[in-house]
Amino acid sequence: MAQTKNNTVIQLKDLKKRFGIGDAEHYALRGIDLTIKKGEFVAIMGPSGCGKTTLLNILGLLDRASDGEYLLDGRSVEDLSSHKQAAIRSKNIGIIFQNFNLVPRMSVIENVALPLTYKGMSKTKRLTRASEVLKAFHLSEREYYMPWQLSGGQTQRVAIARALVNEPSIILADEPTGNLDSKASHIIMEELSDLHAQGNTIIMVTHNPNLTAYASRVIHMADGRIESDTSQHKAPSAPVYGRPLGGKKPKADEETEDSSAPTTQPTDAVLESTKSIQPVRRSMAKTRVRVKKVKIKNVRKRDRK
Amino acid sequence: MSESETENNMRNLLFAHHLENAFESLLSHRLRTLLTVLGVTIGVASVTAILSLTEGATKLVQDQVDQLSGNVGVIRSGAEITNEAESLTRTQTNYATATLTEDDLAALEELPHLEAIAPLMNIRTTLKSNDPGSTSKSHLVVGTTPDLAKINNLTLGSGQFMDEISNANAAVLGEQLSVDLFGTEQSIGKTFTIRDQTFTVIGVLNMTNQPVNFSSIDFDNSALISLESAKSFTQNIAQIQQINLRADSPSNITPMMQAAEEALLTTHKGERDFTVLASDAIAEPTSQLFRTLAALSTIIAGISLVVGGIGIMNIMLVSVAERTREIGIRKSVGASNRHIIWQYIIESLAISITGGVLGYLLGLFAAFLLGMVLPFTPQLSFEVAGIALGLALLTGVIFGLYPAIKAARKDPIMSLRQTH
Ligand SMILES: Nc1ncnc2c1ncn2[C@@H]1O[C@H](COP(=O)(O)OP(=O)(O)OP(=O)(O)O)[C@@H](O)[C@H]1O
Ligand SMILES: [Mg+2]
Repeated sequence: MAQTKNNTVIQLKDLKKRFGIGDAEHYALRGIDLTIKKGEFVAIMGPSGCGKTTLLNILGLLDRASDGEYLLDGRSVEDLSSHKQAAIRSKNIGIIFQNFNLVPRMSVIENVALPLTYKGMSKTKRLTRASEVLKAFHLSEREYYMPWQLSGGQTQRVAIARALVNEPSIILADEPTGNLDSKASHIIMEELSDLHAQGNTIIMVTHNPNLTAYASRVIHMADGRIESDTSQHKAPSAPVYGRPLGGKKPKADEETEDSSAPTTQPTDAVLESTKSIQPVRRSMAKTRVRVKKVKIKNVRKRDRK
Repeated sequence: MSESETENNMRNLLFAHHLENAFESLLSHRLRTLLTVLGVTIGVASVTAILSLTEGATKLVQDQVDQLSGNVGVIRSGAEITNEAESLTRTQTNYATATLTEDDLAALEELPHLEAIAPLMNIRTTLKSNDPGSTSKSHLVVGTTPDLAKINNLTLGSGQFMDEISNANAAVLGEQLSVDLFGTEQSIGKTFTIRDQTFTVIGVLNMTNQPVNFSSIDFDNSALISLESAKSFTQNIAQIQQINLRADSPSNITPMMQAAEEALLTTHKGERDFTVLASDAIAEPTSQLFRTLAALSTIIAGISLVVGGIGIMNIMLVSVAERTREIGIRKSVGASNRHIIWQYIIESLAISITGGVLGYLLGLFAAFLLGMVLPFTPQLSFEVAGIALGLALLTGVIFGLYPAIKAARKDPIMSLRQTH
């Protein structure tokens, strides 16, 4: 996990996004300052409607900010032609949508192969490559299913496979595990961790605090602003439930549902802890059991309250 | 070098993708696609049928001219028609305002290398015979001179053609006209009346079966009389619609017609109210009515093609609306606006070219069916095929462009938000 710390990929300066005009005017983002370096694995958390998806859309060049600046690899995206932006989306960015967004009239394998089309790959190569990726997600038997024939979890895995098929260096994932049980979630997270380990930048929105353990950095948003960021040493870090790290399971006393509760955990510690994921991953079954236990514990605790 | 090569390669692969995609999407809505294709098919079919029939007519006259060994020229009354719109307004007044006179005829008779010259003074009127079975419909009476037989290769089935000394009231009938008037083609010596003047039949022409020809006269259904007799119907003023000339050799026809033009400019005091056509040029569809009809039908065919195009646009707009979400997805995985435009243009081209090919075949079929009842057979030509497919292509691009641009302009986020 070589961290090229000075290699900034994404830089946001006072980024704002306004929706509607006049009386209907409404800011989904109210000034985001954020710097993300190459190889970071950022988890974004926050209540529903706080602007997480809006932020990812802007980062993925699908939407434009109303105000502020977005530098991608040091270049302002405002200066890029729409053609160039499309090329960047094609080559460097993979997006996993909150609602999957598969093309309904295309089979699973065609959906996964779609991004390769715009990279100018021949059909046989596209399908071969898509098949490989689907295999990694245990979907080989579903290649020729149509999207409406899939379960929610399978749909999600297909969406992820599609985002990863052209090996993007930046992966934007909007609740990639939203529909999955914890076993399936962890399989996905393993995959993302692998990509992270290969030096890719990952930005993931999640509501599941368990999964932030895979991230090297956790950002909390509220009402269009960044409320806390583990990399800035000032803000409280996420309450980490059910961390799948074997030895580093947080004590029950430290666990709290109040995200504003201060934490003493510095960034390096987080990084340190994520590093230690690797060996554990090989014994997934064990980890999973642990996660489940912790989860149950939490629920019980909540019930008691 | 390798960069542009890969770029090219990429374009080809994308094209293949779009094409496959287009057929997939079109086949998934078979009925809808079929109806849209049908719209283009009908438009292209009518254009094809009209054009190949027009070519057939032109070819027919061309063959006649070739038979005349290329040494015939004609002078028509009225200025040259330069566009179809003009021909529409001109038809009605054509016969009334013949601008060629006997003076012109006299001047032309002096031309060097002239072998034969014949004026054509057309009068449409009713002929009556004593035969009880005779019909009294309107027929064409042509006032002319003996040379006409030589220039137009007219041959006689019986009797003789008019000559300098034949009776002023002698007439030569087309074979069909003879049958109409007297119930037989053996009508020598019989009489009939033109506007109460009695004429005697001195000859009956052989069947020509050339209702379309460079003289604009269906000789099978006409009565030929001398120019002098014809003048008696128009206060003794000759109103000549056309003068046919023949040179002594094909190589002299062009200079002779040039001389004819100069001579006429002098007699007309510089006013160019006549048209001089030499050899090949006279093969153009001669009848003004024919030209007008051809122009009108082409316009109507064009309109049906526009209707077909509107069908394409309509269906493409529906298709774009239906696939709004797909457009958003494609953009999010790397499609540029250009990719989206191409995707939809290729789809509309797939419709219009399919319609074009089917329309061309259907048009030929219709033309050959019509050719069975018409005096000429339609022509198979690369030009007509090119025009038919070109028009189909153009329709696809023109009417597919707006939906394609509309698709490409869609905001990806808005598209992705659209729910069905
Ligand atoms: N196109 C739009 N027009 C108007 N308002 C919008 C639009 N898109 C988003 N918003 C508003 O912006 C705010 C942020 O939306 P966003 O989708 O980013 O939330 P989110 O943090 O992803 O929530 P969730 O966790 O539920 O997915 C919401 O209040 C939403 O209503
Ligand atoms: Mg969201």
